[in-house]
Amino acid sequence: MELKLLGAILIVAGCGGYGFSLCTRYRKRERALSDLVRALDRMECELQYRLTPLPELCRGAAQDTGGMLRKVFLSLAQELERRVMPDAASCMACVISNEAITYKQLRIILSQLGKSLGQFDLPGQLRGLEAVRKQCILELDALNINRSERLRCYKTLGLCAGAALAILFA
Amino acid sequence: MKCAWNELLDILPKRIAGEVDRLGRDTMQELRLRVNDSPELVCGSGIRRLQEKVTVNDLSFCVNAASRYSPWAAASVSQGYLTVAGGHRIGLCGEVVRKGNEITGIRNATSLCIRVARDYLGIWDTNTSLSGSIMILGAPGSGKTTLLRDAARQISEKHTVAVVDERGELFPTGFVRGLRMDVLTGAPKASGVEMVLRTMGPEWIAVDEITAEEDCCALLQAQGCGVKLLATAHAGSLEEFRSRPVYKKILDNHVFEELIILKSDKSYRVERMHKWN
Repeated sequence: MELKLLGAILIVAGCGGYGFSLCTRYRKRERALSDLVRALDRMECELQYRLTPLPELCRGAAQDTGGMLRKVFLSLAQELERRVMPDAASCMACVISNEAITYKQLRIILSQLGKSLGQFDLPGQLRGLEAVRKQCILELDALNINRSERLRCYKTLGLCAGAALAILFA
Repeated sequence: MKCAWNELLDILPKRIAGEVDRLGRDTMQELRLRVNDSPELVCGSGIRRLQEKVTVNDLSFCVNAASRYSPWAAASVSQGYLTVAGGHRIGLCGEVVRKGNEITGIRNATSLCIRVARDYLGIWDTNTSLSGSIMILGAPGSGKTTLLRDAARQISEKHTVAVVDERGELFPTGFVRGLRMDVLTGAPKASGVEMVLRTMGPEWIAVDEITAEEDCCALLQAQGCGVKLLATAHAGSLEEFRSRPVYKKILDNHVFEELIILKSDKSYRVERMHKWN
């Protein structure tokens, strides 16, 4: 009986934990996108005022971001300084594959950012950054639709699924 | 002699950088890259060619690496050149991009001329009279910039020298600067001369490659303020210099007192300007 109870608790806790981890992942995605928007804002300002070269621009962006994005921007700056790839897009592609970014939309947006970097003159570059920023905001808006319901749902479904499984196995 | 050689190798495609390093480290003056042609190394001893053919991607890599993948930070591309870390200068040829009458850039580069910046310390004769402004004349590749660099450095041991370095190739990071030297980098010569004149209170102003009438006007203005000038101009001889209408103003106004004429073997002779006026 005690073992059954322990098993049931573990199942409920496991499923509930999975639900909570989905919530955390969701919040991390939001944070990554907000960080990216902030980094893009900074890049635009830097470019307009100081015409900062790309490697320094990426290092600056890394300061504004955390987690995965920070690594991406730092690696991109290093890749650009190594001067092995023919263009910035190839550098970004290399970084994306090395950093193993799991969030597909973020991967697409970063790839789009890479393709826009270092290709054009200042107005073109600013337009490129603006396009990526808009893409981020669209994605953030999509994440924000029914946000609180969705987060509550993940937690509740996790716990309920755990409880259902515990009842089934009992 | 000092040369930021590794900075130069960094902007070359890896497949040719090794050979360039082997053949040109000590003597290369220029590297010419043309699409579908073999790289041409212009060395002190003559011209050498490599086996590999240059591709469009090679040139694109050079331009990207030189501009650090930042076309916006290399505004000089619209004037047909880029200055690399270490003061090396890349001349570009290809298809020009225009907005109205203004050239805004060069796309699809088809030829590059990479000129190696080497810094020779102590080549300037310290016994040269500093009583008046000095003009250094020489044909392309004769060493005008190199001599100007050392002259500015040595003059700055005793006098305040403001260097207007439009192309960023006179005193890049790593090159030894003079004791009392201020360097203004990136400003067009005419406005740069005016800026340092107003703000830095120099005794001497050094500028490389006087090529336009507005540069001459700026020099004339500086001379009027009692500043001595150290400048260079493209001319193989005094006659050639005097025959150029662009220099008429500075000749008519006796701006320069000393002329230094560089020969092809990198030696030079000093002449007093008044002899010809």
